[in-house]
Amino acid sequence: MQLTVLVVSLMFMIIIALFFISAIRASQTGGSDLTAKIDRSHLFWGMLAFGFAVTLVSLWEWPHRITSGQNVVTVNATGAQWSWGIDKEEVPVGQPVVFNVHTQDVTHGLGVVDPNGRLLFQAQGMPGYVNKVEHIFKQAGEYRVICMEFCGVGHHDMITEFKVVAN
Amino acid sequence: MLMSTPRNHANAVKLTMLLAGVVLILMMAFGLVMRAAQGGLFELDPAFFYRLMTAHGAGMVGVAALTGAAVLWYFVSRYVDLIEGVYWAFLGLFLLGVVLILGSIFVGGYGGAWTFLFPLPAISGGAWEASAAVAFILGYISIGVGFLLFYLEVGRKIVAAYGGIGRALAWPLAFGGAQPDDAPPPTIVAAMATTVFNTIGIVVGATVLVSSLVNLLVPGFAVDALLAKNMIYFFGHVFINASIYMAVIAVYEIVPEYTGKPWKTTRPFALAWTAILLFVMAVYPHHLLQDTVMPAWALVMGQIVSYLSGIPLLVVTAFALCVYLRGSNIRWDLASALLVLGVAGWSVGSAPAIIDGMISVNKLMHNTQWVPGHFHIYLILGEVAMAFGFMAWLVKDARASEFTGIDRLGLGIYLLGGTGFTLMFLISGALSVPRRWAVHAEEWFLQDRIATGFGALVVLGALIFVALYAKGLSARRES
Repeated sequence: MQLTVLVVSLMFMIIIALFFISAIRASQTGGSDLTAKIDRSHLFWGMLAFGFAVTLVSLWEWPHRITSGQNVVTVNATGAQWSWGIDKEEVPVGQPVVFNVHTQDVTHGLGVVDPNGRLLFQAQGMPGYVNKVEHIFKQAGEYRVICMEFCGVGHHDMITEFKVVAN
Repeated sequence: MLMSTPRNHANAVKLTMLLAGVVLILMMAFGLVMRAAQGGLFELDPAFFYRLMTAHGAGMVGVAALTGAAVLWYFVSRYVDLIEGVYWAFLGLFLLGVVLILGSIFVGGYGGAWTFLFPLPAISGGAWEASAAVAFILGYISIGVGFLLFYLEVGRKIVAAYGGIGRALAWPLAFGGAQPDDAPPPTIVAAMATTVFNTIGIVVGATVLVSSLVNLLVPGFAVDALLAKNMIYFFGHVFINASIYMAVIAVYEIVPEYTGKPWKTTRPFALAWTAILLFVMAVYPHHLLQDTVMPAWALVMGQIVSYLSGIPLLVVTAFALCVYLRGSNIRWDLASALLVLGVAGWSVGSAPAIIDGMISVNKLMHNTQWVPGHFHIYLILGEVAMAFGFMAWLVKDARASEFTGIDRLGLGIYLLGGTGFTLMFLISGALSVPRRWAVHAEEWFLQDRIATGFGALVVLGALIFVALYAKGLSARRES
């Protein structure tokens, strides 16, 4: 997913840059640049339509949905300067796991990283509130919990681990 | 309208840009030191790293706002009679704020990041005393009061001269039957819009700053963390965006000098600025997409407005500049090149920003190095490029040749460095490297070190721009 985001972003960035490069070239020659090939009102309506479609697709299933039921595993993760407290050492593969993110002091950011070092999801831990985030782990292994919100001088030391095990 | 800026205002702005240039280089050097330390090139005490990070963040946001404000003042003073003393009060309060902030960081040891996220200033885990946090917050308040004075003067003069906020925003053209020739110039429309939204942003910021201050002095005074976070990000988002929207006035005013074609207020332009006025304030929940206790509608609004914000930028500002440039026979020199680069960089940087504004993407990219990736494009290749372009234009009469070898060298170095430096942030973000970590894992060293090399080029390019500006000022004084 992250690689796709990078590639898509770079693609749009290059397209925008090409518009400027062609306009700069056409500034002296008077020749045609990329904007000459596009009607501005078409660009406006095209961007609106594209945005509408992307919004619909990306929000059709609510990204922060929390399922309920007997097979849901709940984990309480509590951040404190500068460590994480996790009340379960193991969670199962293939079942919804809901992380309740708490904090004892300042705002922290729970980030869960897979065995390959890839960030899977995150949620903020904020004083006085409990943010919930759900994930279904697909592979067993050692996962790391790191802090994603700057919380003081030991921010980078807030690392702990838990296991995802096959049923 | 005056043909040129009154000399007293011009001198005040020139001094401001010199100060800003020096601060920019210092802040860039701080950033370079942090990237090198992350890459393991030398060891830096984490406490000191986070102090540098706090100074870098507050300093860059502050200097971006200062340069944007200087551009606005310089050109608005051509249209309305501004009181010079207000500008000096603004600059004095800004410098007082800088002294307080630097003192709080390098004397008091404050290292709570520029975002002062409640209740971190009061709960440092022993890293700094409450007095240091108080000094930091008082520094922000001093700068905020200065900006409020600034906008009060700009706002009241524009309202008086153009017959109200709506008329200054060209609403009769946008929503009525008025003709473009009767509309205010682009500078006035942009200045009015930024005055409105940044005044609201600063007032919200001042409220949460004062609440944090009371909490520091009277710890029993509790502030709701979610409310405080909403207010901080509203203020922070509006304030940094206002810097870019003020700086773009330099493009509206200076680029026509190089083409002979005026930049006019058209109906799309007027509509775009009204959209900007609303979107800049409505988009801030995209900073809170990982706070699931936020109302769902607010997060949806954050995602949608984040996308919509790109439309006035790309369809109006960027598109209009490209159309404007075509066949314009623009004279290229350091100033015109940097101003066009500023709009191009700002536009390019909108792509990774908008994509990160999607909730499902944000879950993976939020607070990774993706985030500094996109806002460093906005700054290095956007706002700061426009500021350097403005500086080059201010002293262009003192230059013997229009586009010298050293100009081209500085521009090339800066563009190459800025592109590589920000690309490394984006790649690191895609590799899940978290932002704001003093100590990096060894597997992240490669991109940190490459970024350090590109960062050194950015600093070198900036040094050339500021040295040319200082030389130009000196030459003008002698003549």
